[in-house]
Amino acid sequence: MSDQQYYDVIIIGGGHAGTEAALASARTGASTCLISQNIETIGQMSCNPAIGGIGKSHLVKEIDALDGVMAKATDRAGIHFRVLNARKGPAVRATRAQADRQLYKQTIRGFVENQDNLKLFQQTVVDLLIVNGVVKGVKTQLDVIFHANSVVLTTGTFLGGLIHIGMESHTGGRAGDPPSNSLAKRLRELPFRVDRLKTGTPPRIDARSVDFSQLEEQPGDNPRPVMSYLGSIEQHPEQRMCHITYTNADTHDIIRKNLKRSPLFSGKIDGTGPRYCPSIEDKVVRFADRDQHQIFIEPEGLNTQELYPNGISTSLPYDVQIALIRTIKGFENAHITRPGYAIEYDYFDPRDLNFSLETRFIEGLFFAGQINGTTGYEEAAAQGLLAGSNAALKAAGKPLWHPRRDEAYLGVLVDDLVNQGTNEPYRMFTSRAEFRLLLRQDNADARLTQMGRELGLVSNVRWDIFCEKQKKINELTQMLAEFKIIVGTDLANKFNKITDVKISKDSDLLTLLKRPEVNAQHVMKLIDSPDYNLVGEQVEIQIKYQGYIKRQQAEIDKIDRQEQVVLPPELDYLAMEGLSNELREKLAYVKPPTLAKAGRIQGITPAALSLLLIHAKKIRDMS
Amino acid sequence: MTSVNSDRTTSGKLKYASGIETDTIAAIATPAGKGGIGIVRLSGPEAQNILVKIIGKKITPRYATLASFLDQQGEKLDRGLALFFPAPHSFTGEHVAELHGHGGPVIIDLLLSECLSHGARLAKPGEYSERAYHNNKLDLVQAEAIADLINSASANAARAAARSLSGDFSIQINKVAEEIKNLRVYVEASIDFPEEEIDFLTEGQVSQKAQKIVSELKLLLISSEQGVLLRDGIRLVIAGKPNVGKSSLLNCLVGFDRAIVTAHAGTTRDSLSESITLKGLPITFVDTAGLRTTNDVVELEGIKRTHEEIKKADRIILVRDASIKNRALEEELEELNLIDNSDENKKTNDRSDFFGRLLLVNNKMDLIGENLPTINISGNQSVINISALTGAGVDNLVEEIIQLVGYQQQTVGFSARRRHIESLNGALTALELGISQLNTMAAGELFAEDLKCAHMHCGDILGHMSSDELLGEIFSSFCIGK
Ligand SMILES: Nc1nc2c(ncn2[C@@H]2O[C@H](COP(=O)(O)OP(=O)(O)O)[C@@H](O)[C@H]2O)c(=O)[nH]1
Ligand SMILES: [Mg+2]
Repeated sequence: MSDQQYYDVIIIGGGHAGTEAALASARTGASTCLISQNIETIGQMSCNPAIGGIGKSHLVKEIDALDGVMAKATDRAGIHFRVLNARKGPAVRATRAQADRQLYKQTIRGFVENQDNLKLFQQTVVDLLIVNGVVKGVKTQLDVIFHANSVVLTTGTFLGGLIHIGMESHTGGRAGDPPSNSLAKRLRELPFRVDRLKTGTPPRIDARSVDFSQLEEQPGDNPRPVMSYLGSIEQHPEQRMCHITYTNADTHDIIRKNLKRSPLFSGKIDGTGPRYCPSIEDKVVRFADRDQHQIFIEPEGLNTQELYPNGISTSLPYDVQIALIRTIKGFENAHITRPGYAIEYDYFDPRDLNFSLETRFIEGLFFAGQINGTTGYEEAAAQGLLAGSNAALKAAGKPLWHPRRDEAYLGVLVDDLVNQGTNEPYRMFTSRAEFRLLLRQDNADARLTQMGRELGLVSNVRWDIFCEKQKKINELTQMLAEFKIIVGTDLANKFNKITDVKISKDSDLLTLLKRPEVNAQHVMKLIDSPDYNLVGEQVEIQIKYQGYIKRQQAEIDKIDRQEQVVLPPELDYLAMEGLSNELREKLAYVKPPTLAKAGRIQGITPAALSLLLIHAKKIRDMS
Repeated sequence: MTSVNSDRTTSGKLKYASGIETDTIAAIATPAGKGGIGIVRLSGPEAQNILVKIIGKKITPRYATLASFLDQQGEKLDRGLALFFPAPHSFTGEHVAELHGHGGPVIIDLLLSECLSHGARLAKPGEYSERAYHNNKLDLVQAEAIADLINSASANAARAAARSLSGDFSIQINKVAEEIKNLRVYVEASIDFPEEEIDFLTEGQVSQKAQKIVSELKLLLISSEQGVLLRDGIRLVIAGKPNVGKSSLLNCLVGFDRAIVTAHAGTTRDSLSESITLKGLPITFVDTAGLRTTNDVVELEGIKRTHEEIKKADRIILVRDASIKNRALEEELEELNLIDNSDENKKTNDRSDFFGRLLLVNNKMDLIGENLPTINISGNQSVINISALTGAGVDNLVEEIIQLVGYQQQTVGFSARRRHIESLNGALTALELGISQLNTMAAGELFAEDLKCAHMHCGDILGHMSSDELLGEIFSSFCIGK
């Protein structure tokens, strides 16, 4: 006799996508159950324990703006913080943190266990209950039936995982998780398109066998940044040093000599690896003129001796790994604790998803994370938050949502995936965002928190702090605009003293802040209202980017208008004259919901968009 | 979903729910066949203001007013009629202004350029009709027709653009675009991969490189304004099987023996072109290698070029020898590889585009007697009977060509050039702004923004690069990856 349980939303998988999905769903008030094969692995960092980086910390801040937990957990677990691109301007500035793996996992577990409306259950899901194309729940190994209105699948690389070390290979998921075969089989029966990707990891090294005196030190930044808008450095645990070393000619020789024993080069692996994260054998072959490659040595935590040598992922045989590691400065006596490996896995073509991350074929079923062809904790978590909140909205019968490309990196991520698909593990870069100056890590709250509040995702605490901050920004902007500086007055002299800028005509502080030589600290000194110190930089960034943002606004307005043109599903793209065959097929496959989305499909021309517009209007006029 | 964003300003522009743009567009809009008059038509909110700037006065709506058309220095470009139709009682439903001039294609092109310098944007193919449709000025039945119009107009424009880019100019544009791309690859790589060991250019070097591109763009603009870009007017390609009399027809049309005429099949192995003015229209005739199946390498190369010429042609004059027995037209076209008759391709755009440009000529009529009509209709395709030897019927052919080609086609070439100049100007402005950002603000991310903008303008001419392709360039240029 099987047990029956009832929930609004079921989340399968407790990784970064699964936890954000479960928490988001529960925050909106939906009764939610997170089912994981192993509760001990909830919040586990299966690769190197680093959060953030260029494009990625942008996502983390967006998750934070929607009251997700990734940034908060990073502040509680981070043992090394840096600001990247500090000198290249605020829009491309990013925060990166090295986390203690254990602390991070514990923190996430704590958030999950303390969340109202959220229950945990450890079981393997073996089947999805689907009635007439609508998901109704899931069945677990013990025949327990979980009824739910929505189900979010976040099971990472578990599908068809194949691990390669040298010419040996075995099936498995990442970090030792067993593959879940019956669910995988069940999913394959559904009409989703499946393709194959690959990725790799470096061998891990025992710190006690490393000669640190040989290594370049890379300290964290001072002043130290925080990840969450609500974070403070008082939350940070003890900080650690990172190190840098390099490969050399000997390393490269060993690799070249053993290429035929690499599954990558012998043709044994057929999944597509990421272009931005080549294995060390790839680097040595493709960039043969380089005599060294950089390795970042990252500690895995405060209470472990394991190190993650970032930059030498490899699938060469174990004996070659030992040999090549020991050619590296500082690693002469290194002990490998876990060999590096390449893993191939299946993913679902994200073009089979809607922008809400609901699947097109099964109503109420959502996919988030690596299963959609992405890589990275941040990309996974961001999708989880979106899928989880939509699963809850769906269960409540409310309209689903997603941010647009000009509103969030999350919008760029979803739009890229759903519109273009991907043929390598998809990772975020700032160059993917055409509105990069708007999508900054410093203003994710201004971009998203109100939206999150309306969706029920944002708690009172965050909302109050956010409102207060926005109020201060507005007040300060106003204040600076009204703060006149008249040539020849004491104030003008004082301004000159602080900034070294001599004004030649009367002005106000807001206008003066646009000048390259003038910064927020200068004007804050002049107005002497310490209350506003924290928002001074925000005002400076806004005023300095103002001209560019106005220019982008015209582009955004156009997208806005095109977003309002709904392309009716009955449009027959295949019969549409005047489009190339390739475009017809792409359109027929993707079925873009709006004109703006059609405009993002590769190969579309303005003339083709005009045609779509006319056909759409024709259908509307007829009905 | 929309979010509150303190950075965002609300635009004062009109918001149309239709999704189309709301700026003022301009184009040359002369009906085909009216050789003497050229019309520049403006549509959009600024139409009246631009008109007033050009004629120096306000005019009564819907009345034709005689006026002088002035350039920005107040010099008279032309004299003609000006009209203004206020919204919504106009062809497009927006404010529409028209300038009717007599000065010929070059002057009309200058007039158009004047409108653009006052803030109008060059209309996209079919855009007037599109706006008319969205403002409910056209009914449902006409929607299909507009779709067709957009198709054929954009095909025309694409051909003209491809042609105007041939030779030197295209090499230069490609070179500049390549330099912009390479600089972008550097700048974007340094932004997205700050931790990698990339031998980055110093800011000084970046701005030097950008400065060099600016000078190149300026040179390019000067030469394109001088007309280097537009070498020929409309282009008519004479094609057909060997020995049907193509070269003879070219000679006949241009009036002297430019092409070698022989009785051996396959004499013309390369394309020859000759430009003449027919009733005031500059026209280039291209004689081509005869089409047939062959194994001769040299001849095959000639045939390949013939196909390329056919792709670029405004019209294709297909010559057939009337003195011998010919296969049915469709069969012959398929045999010559000019159309694909398979079912799946029967409805394609390429095919209807090809037939739309086709002009059929039966040659050697002298050999079968003069008692056939000079023009006959077979199917829905008209055929002109001529003798390239005696010259009989060639005047009919010239008449037909002028009818078909008219003034409109002529201006397509000018618009193509205008569009390129607009794009180059856009790229130049963006780069200059970017350099000043880099030099005065040390703002790398803003420079990157302007560089992207310049790259997009080049993309308008050469085709755009997606962000993923840009990333691909970065990954193949630099060893990136932890
Ligand atoms: N009788 C007659 N012969 C012609 C006519 N046009 C061309 N020819 C002859 O046909 C042969 C081939 O002509 P040519 O122009 O070289 O043909 P092409 O190969 O198509 O360029 C030459 O001997 C011409 O003199 C025509 O209208 N009447
Ligand atoms: Mg010939």
